[in-house]
Amino acid sequence: MAGNKPRGSSFSRNFSATSNTISQIPGLKHGPNGTMFLSSGIPDLDKILGGGFTLGSLVMVMEDPEAPHHMLLIRNFMSQGLVHKQPLLYASPAKDPRGFLGTLPSPMFSKDEKSRDRDAEQEKGLRIAWQYKKYFGEQNSELLRDGKSEYCNDFDLRKPLERHFYSGQQTDCISLQDSADLTTFHDRCSSFLSQTPRNDRNITCAGRIAIQSLSAPQCDFSDKECDMLSFIRSLKSTIRSSNAVAVITFPPSLVSPAFSKRLQHLADTLVSVKAIPDEDKELAKLLTGYQDMVGLLSVHKVARINTQVPTILEATTFSMKLRKRRSLILECLNQAPVDGSTGSSYASSSSCSGSSKTGAIDF
Amino acid sequence: MAERICRALRDGALEGEHAPALTIKDSIQSPFGSLVFNHVLSQLSSFIVAQKSQSQGIVLVAFSRGPLYYEEFFKSKGNDVASSNKWIRVLDCCTDPLGWRSKLMESGRIANLTLGTSTTASLYKNVKDLDKLLLAITELGKELVGDGKGRFVVAIDSVSEMLRHTSISSVAGLLSNLRSHDQVSCLFWLLHSDIHETKAIAALEYLSSMQASAEPITRPVNGQRGNSEKLPFLEQNLRGGKIHVRFKRRNGRVRLMSEEFCIEQSGIKFTPISSEAEMIAQSLVPKVQFNLQLSEKERNDRAKVVLPFEHQGNGKTIQIYDGRKSLNEDKPEMQYTSAEKVQTVKDSGRGEIIYFRDSDDEMPDSDEDPDDDLDI
Repeated sequence: MAGNKPRGSSFSRNFSATSNTISQIPGLKHGPNGTMFLSSGIPDLDKILGGGFTLGSLVMVMEDPEAPHHMLLIRNFMSQGLVHKQPLLYASPAKDPRGFLGTLPSPMFSKDEKSRDRDAEQEKGLRIAWQYKKYFGEQNSELLRDGKSEYCNDFDLRKPLERHFYSGQQTDCISLQDSADLTTFHDRCSSFLSQTPRNDRNITCAGRIAIQSLSAPQCDFSDKECDMLSFIRSLKSTIRSSNAVAVITFPPSLVSPAFSKRLQHLADTLVSVKAIPDEDKELAKLLTGYQDMVGLLSVHKVARINTQVPTILEATTFSMKLRKRRSLILECLNQAPVDGSTGSSYASSSSCSGSSKTGAIDF
Repeated sequence: MAERICRALRDGALEGEHAPALTIKDSIQSPFGSLVFNHVLSQLSSFIVAQKSQSQGIVLVAFSRGPLYYEEFFKSKGNDVASSNKWIRVLDCCTDPLGWRSKLMESGRIANLTLGTSTTASLYKNVKDLDKLLLAITELGKELVGDGKGRFVVAIDSVSEMLRHTSISSVAGLLSNLRSHDQVSCLFWLLHSDIHETKAIAALEYLSSMQASAEPITRPVNGQRGNSEKLPFLEQNLRGGKIHVRFKRRNGRVRLMSEEFCIEQSGIKFTPISSEAEMIAQSLVPKVQFNLQLSEKERNDRAKVVLPFEHQGNGKTIQIYDGRKSLNEDKPEMQYTSAEKVQTVKDSGRGEIIYFRDSDDEMPDSDEDPDDDLDI
């Protein structure tokens, strides 16, 4: 499982006991450097990003036109927000975006979650053969697990979310086809974000914005790249001063490379999804678990708010799998054991990775 | 493989999903897209007539070839023209796409030419307005299959013609609205890829769930000049070609397939590919790591191994491991197998540490604390 230790510093924020502590608000937790996180809805992705999506950041997902994996990310993001009763704004190019809410996954509850314990057990069971052990007592390992409402739920993609979660006033759906240029949509976003402003008083709740396929060809503004860029720029500045996270997906192959690059630079957290070919013998030889994979997810940039220190991940590409066809998990790509007898080179990979092997491994 | 496409179209859309959409692409080097289109059309019509498919009718939006052509086509395939009224409607956008002819006829400039009317064709005169076109298509479809659960197939003769009159975003809007329409079972369209911008082609590929592109068997190498050298290629390419299909499967994986086809008197015929050309695996994955996780069996085996210093503090006498074969047989609980020779693994039920010493001269490891010597 990919993990990423949060970057510690020698300073820690002093949270006074009298203030409204974050732990009382479900769905939010403190992050480093005075930031706060909300969950992406995918536990593995939260771990990879170091806690979740930072409040006030803009997350962009680059789609692959051949696979619908960005929908998995958007679905989990939206469901997590609805489960935590956070206000949600959803926009898509479809004529009836409300219908999409019926396809959101439902959270799985703790009796199903055997896997979350797996990590804790491995830590506890670490056996240390240490010369100086005789001078010390047993170290006790704490196991923190609060049974209250969880920060991040596992979602069951086969079970739809119950209606009462999204039938309230807090969920708003907009069709991108209605807005000929982006001004009406922009106004809706601004009024949504004014519900969750950031100020010195305590935070009450956080908002979520999910925009799917922003530059889809059906929208009238899809060739007006300057308009889209200025919309996103102003959205980003409004988000910075509010307690919300926006997730925007766009297909980079349908827009000009310059526009795609600009959007990538505008993003605080940048993720891309990729399709994999079916029944590809080369890939099956190269990777373990190829049969279960549905796609690949790459993390290009992680949000860097209130800090100059970049987050450097151990691995940037992960395989997307559906565990028991229900919930989405992300795993590191593992190389399949090399068969010493074949020793042929694999037709893949860029030159900077050392993973294309031409023979048995040599230590 | 062409069979697979037709079967996928025949099976149609699942409840709540977008309808499958096929893009048939060709280019000047292999201009057989319309023949592939005709093939798919005839296959689907035979499925519909035999009532084996999800849909009950076809709405054919004819931009580049008129309804008379299609009548001839279906007749040649053996379909009965009289009963074709039940399962096909042709929206004729070819005869008078912009309404000029009717305007001229009204003003008396040209005589009223009666074209052979067919019962299945309706004339459409306003191709620039795609909202009205969408309405016309859906109305024709409802005429065919009724208002309830019935579904119909939409075939667009040539999206290239549509793109002549309107912008890509309105065409994309029309296609995506058709795909998400409840009563549309599947749709397919023809596109000539070399007359459009890459952006338009990318947008249409984005909207489709299958793409079939007709390509020449061999491409002439760039350095060749002069018609005499190109002739054999041209001849070969005019007789047949290859068709490459990309399927976007529901689970998010992409299947790539190829077949060869050749043009015959009766139409097009598909054959599996002859082996010289191979599929080039896509160069893909960047950093691949080694598997650092343990499987269950490996974890169990690891738990059984007794580690060097673990015995300390357990109340037993300290056994110093010296790496040689001088094992203490009195204390069978702590055994370390050793040595310079490789030993086959004994299944003692305990884990073993297999240790190869570099040489016999080395001092045995001791449990003494080296800091005990310090005299501070």
